[in-house]
Amino acid sequence: MFDMSLARRLLVRQHFLSDCFVRAASNAARLKYDVVVVGGGHAGTEAAAAAARTGAETLLITQKIQTIGALSCNPSLGGVGKGQLVREVDALDGLMGRAGDRAGIHFSILNRSKGPAVWGPRAQIDRGCYREFIQSELLNMPRLTVIEGSVEDLLLSAADPEQPGKHKVTGVRMANGGGEILSGSIILTTGTFLSGSLFMGQTTSPGGRMGDPPSCAGLSHCLREVLGLKVGRLRTGTPPRLVKDTVDFSLTELHLPDSKPVPFSFVNKHTQCKPEEQLPCHLTYTTPGVDKVVRESLNVNSHIHQDTRGPRYCPSIESRVLRFPGRQHQVWLEPEGLTSDLVYPQGLSMTMPPELQLRLLREIPALRRVEIRMAGYGVQYDFVCPTQLFPWLQMKNVQGLFLAGQINGTTGYEEAAAQGLWAGVNAGRIALSLPPMSLSRTESYIGVLIDDLVGRGVTEPYRMFTSRAEFRTALRPDNADLRLTPRGFEEVGCVSWQRYQEAVRVSRGLGEALSALQSITLSSFQWREKLGHFSISETKSTLISGKEVLQYKDVSFDLLASAFPDILSPYLEFSERLKIEAVYQPHCEKQRQEMERMRKEESLALPQDIDYFSLPVSLSDEVREILDRARPSTLGAATRLPGITPAAIIHLLRFVTKVGVTTGEAAYMQVRGPKPDCWRGASVHERDREKATVVQS
Amino acid sequence: MFFVTGWRSALLINVTRLCKSASSEDTIFALSSGQGRCGVAVVRVSGPASVDALRSMAGLTRRLPAPRTALLRRLLHPHSKELLDRGLVLWFPGPHSFTGEDSVEFHIHGGPAVINGILQALGSLPRLRPAEAGEFTRRAFHAGKLDLTEVEGMGDLIHAETEAQRRQALRQMAGDLGQLYNDWSLQLKQSLAHVEAFIDFSEGDLIEDGVLYEVDVAVSQLRVEVEKHLSDERKGERLRSGVQVVIAGSTNVGKSSLFNILCQRPAAIVSPVAGTTRDVVETPLDIGGFPVLLSDTAGLRDTCDCVEREGVHRARQTVEQADLTLVVIDTAQLPQDLLMVPGLLSRYLKMVLPNRKDEQCLLVLNKRDLLPKSHIAVIQRVLQQNPGLPPLSILSCHNKEGLEDFLTLLQDRIKTLCGDPLASSPSLTQTRHRTHLQKCVDALAQYYQYRDTDLALAAEGLRSGLTSLGRITGKVGAEEILDVIFRDFCIGK
Repeated sequence: MFDMSLARRLLVRQHFLSDCFVRAASNAARLKYDVVVVGGGHAGTEAAAAAARTGAETLLITQKIQTIGALSCNPSLGGVGKGQLVREVDALDGLMGRAGDRAGIHFSILNRSKGPAVWGPRAQIDRGCYREFIQSELLNMPRLTVIEGSVEDLLLSAADPEQPGKHKVTGVRMANGGGEILSGSIILTTGTFLSGSLFMGQTTSPGGRMGDPPSCAGLSHCLREVLGLKVGRLRTGTPPRLVKDTVDFSLTELHLPDSKPVPFSFVNKHTQCKPEEQLPCHLTYTTPGVDKVVRESLNVNSHIHQDTRGPRYCPSIESRVLRFPGRQHQVWLEPEGLTSDLVYPQGLSMTMPPELQLRLLREIPALRRVEIRMAGYGVQYDFVCPTQLFPWLQMKNVQGLFLAGQINGTTGYEEAAAQGLWAGVNAGRIALSLPPMSLSRTESYIGVLIDDLVGRGVTEPYRMFTSRAEFRTALRPDNADLRLTPRGFEEVGCVSWQRYQEAVRVSRGLGEALSALQSITLSSFQWREKLGHFSISETKSTLISGKEVLQYKDVSFDLLASAFPDILSPYLEFSERLKIEAVYQPHCEKQRQEMERMRKEESLALPQDIDYFSLPVSLSDEVREILDRARPSTLGAATRLPGITPAAIIHLLRFVTKVGVTTGEAAYMQVRGPKPDCWRGASVHERDREKATVVQS
Repeated sequence: MFFVTGWRSALLINVTRLCKSASSEDTIFALSSGQGRCGVAVVRVSGPASVDALRSMAGLTRRLPAPRTALLRRLLHPHSKELLDRGLVLWFPGPHSFTGEDSVEFHIHGGPAVINGILQALGSLPRLRPAEAGEFTRRAFHAGKLDLTEVEGMGDLIHAETEAQRRQALRQMAGDLGQLYNDWSLQLKQSLAHVEAFIDFSEGDLIEDGVLYEVDVAVSQLRVEVEKHLSDERKGERLRSGVQVVIAGSTNVGKSSLFNILCQRPAAIVSPVAGTTRDVVETPLDIGGFPVLLSDTAGLRDTCDCVEREGVHRARQTVEQADLTLVVIDTAQLPQDLLMVPGLLSRYLKMVLPNRKDEQCLLVLNKRDLLPKSHIAVIQRVLQQNPGLPPLSILSCHNKEGLEDFLTLLQDRIKTLCGDPLASSPSLTQTRHRTHLQKCVDALAQYYQYRDTDLALAAEGLRSGLTSLGRITGKVGAEEILDVIFRDFCIGK
């Protein structure tokens, strides 16, 4: 079914661009939308799509429809931590996972040997193909209109006194006399374009991406001066793009993709690219000559001298050489597409003048005769300090204004998409007069990401790592559908019926299979007889269940199914997931108490207009200052602030409201009871039963 | 209509039951009465395993006592069956208890040995652990047992409790033991950071080979060390129970003289030379029946002598950790203009105790014999009109004048401190440490269990080990781990 629709899309591919202009023209007359999204990057596209999925009439404004869904930097998706985000975006019916499956040309699960909780689904992506998929999805989406244009200013009015906030957005004013578009929910996803400047050597020019015009200064002025938002500055960079034919791959290490590509999306059984059609990557290393060129270039490299904070984990080759001199650094040569004649040198982001870039590259044996198609450059840009946001990514101070992506100080496509999706969902909900919702750290990486941003702010571009998620063993890439899809359908309203049905089918299957495993109990002697040799303890005298046996290293579900075909063979399609569930369940069980405590505290909302300095309770000035600066939305967020004492938390209890208007989470808790059950197979089953009894009575 | 209501409430009960069974939390215990030699001490237990604690400690194999009714029982150690005390036990089945959970109270004799024995015994039971600051209150709040005005009072209570715990912890941290725990925490943080680097960055980055082998060695050493530490009965370690009283002030104001008078023996050297006392001199005392650890410290002054400077540093540390500081000043050095005396005393107090809290200090004006009696009377009158100063006493260590009044004042103050239900008991602190150290050892075992099959689960072991240690030495957050990663490795992807 899916393949057929894909094929149909492929056929119409040549036509849709002209098609979209028609749409754009015909819809320009309509001047009022439920939700307006500004920016067509990864945050903007997910935001627009999510808002439309919730049922809101949505408008996406982008400078160029052609660049919608562009991968501005690396031609890859996912990885360790980031792969989890892609899976979660997909579980909430976002675009990114399916786009990756459509455009991937080299799939591999990173960390295969390190445990399923930290597996990192990753793929090299064909840039053009990715863009086309995203564009065709957006341009054919019901309730979504896409237009080209530039936003010059936000339209504001007096704030609704019933809600927190000093201002209220009512629409946007388009540049070049493009008129006004009215909307009560506006999502800004301007990426690096907010006061962006590009750096190469000693030259600087305004802009957010090479080749695209800079955004209007008006928006930046509005945010800073009119709305008075706290803004900071960050920097990043991108490597030069190399001409493939001029690279000597024989001097590199060959890295092959997985022979069985695993799709990102829960709704795809296969990737578009056939296993044998996948392209390899190549690995090479820097030489002492590279260090030398970097040192020589320092006096003509203004980007490197700036104080602006860049990411510690994605540094330019300049900062790597300066921080860790005399070492070999890895350089990955990645394909840019199936038919592309370019190569992307991952690890060689640089901002020196183009002639020095060429000299540097040619110090690497495999690149001795390399030619540059487009030189590397640095970007500096403004970000809005994300502590000014609610956990549903709306500005605390400005009613109806949402921010997502790099504008919030993050880096990476996946981080942007995750925020975009959640901002889109909430902008849509608010437009439809539904209460906003937040995701908990205990249920998703998206929750961790947003909680870190709004709770602690950023000092460098924020990237996801698995070590940021305290409940990493529960928040696995394999179970993102069980964690998020049911809630996404039942409460959030951003998941399609088909996807929901599939998640329900899977969770029911897993639940039944685990119960079946639990019901098989044998002595260790009998197990050995059934399964042959495996390292089960001989001394264990009690009966052992199939679920316990599945926890053993050498036992697979397939092995058990061959021993008990009648009971277990119906569940063979879940083989790998069952093995993971069996191994991880006891550990998730251990964490459950801590998760519940956190969830409980996250369900206690703190009023946003609270004046911490005049509270008539004994809090130290230091604690008052911390609370005033961070303005935590929930008691849980307050607990995680450095410097907040247990006594301060108890004092704050007095001010919390138990059923948050602010967190849908709280309402959820009341109706549902504790939630972790929804992603543990057996309990999912129980929950279904519970539902069934409701229906009967 | 009735049908619908019935259906709803049935569902609600069902959901509540689900919530309840799902939120089966740890069972916590704590000493709820004051430390020191009080007649009766109350140890409170709350949580689902309370009833097990009651059964095994009070030997109630068959029937439980009637709810909320005192019962006299012999209290035995659950493993060694050694008799710990005879005391009253009370059983409060939830939800009719302070926390809304099943709770038990043990009313026992108030000696430190008995209290310590009971707390250690509770700590040895499965699923029981010492309560963290504010935990009883939070549970009560979540169970809807506190009205909001009560919350405020509880906040103050917990503030005082954590303050007392902080001082308690500082005291232990200042010693070799604290150094040891901190070192462990550092090592484990390093190991965890290296494993995390290996998980988050090893693919596509040059993480040095053998990072994991180093971690293997470090973790195994750590585990052996902590285990050895736990199995050691810690006989050599002095139980530092009792109120910590410190004598502090400038040089040559008579601190050591006061110390010797209180010890009733010449424990510290006294001379007219400024800077005679250079180290902290300590002695355990019994003042009015309460255990006191009295310390004499070096006079506070800027000095070039490096030994004396260290002495001054130690003096400041000791003051920071004290429950009560006796701030001594030389009466003869007060200004002639009596109106300036209160200001000078305030500044002097600020110099000795930068974070002064009045309930934590007494002001001692020594050497009253050097001034005429009439003058002393005037000083007394001036100071009485100044409510901004802490309680004070004017005395002479030389001719013992005013000493009796001072002793009464001191005794009252110590009594208040000991009877203070907020002061943390050292034995509870110790029990808490042992619990966390044991948890740390158990968690480290998980590292080895999964080292070769699932690094995520192995790292989980290190993480929870660090969390347990962190409950003693201070929390280690994700950002700190990332700091170590980026310090130690060149991450470039």
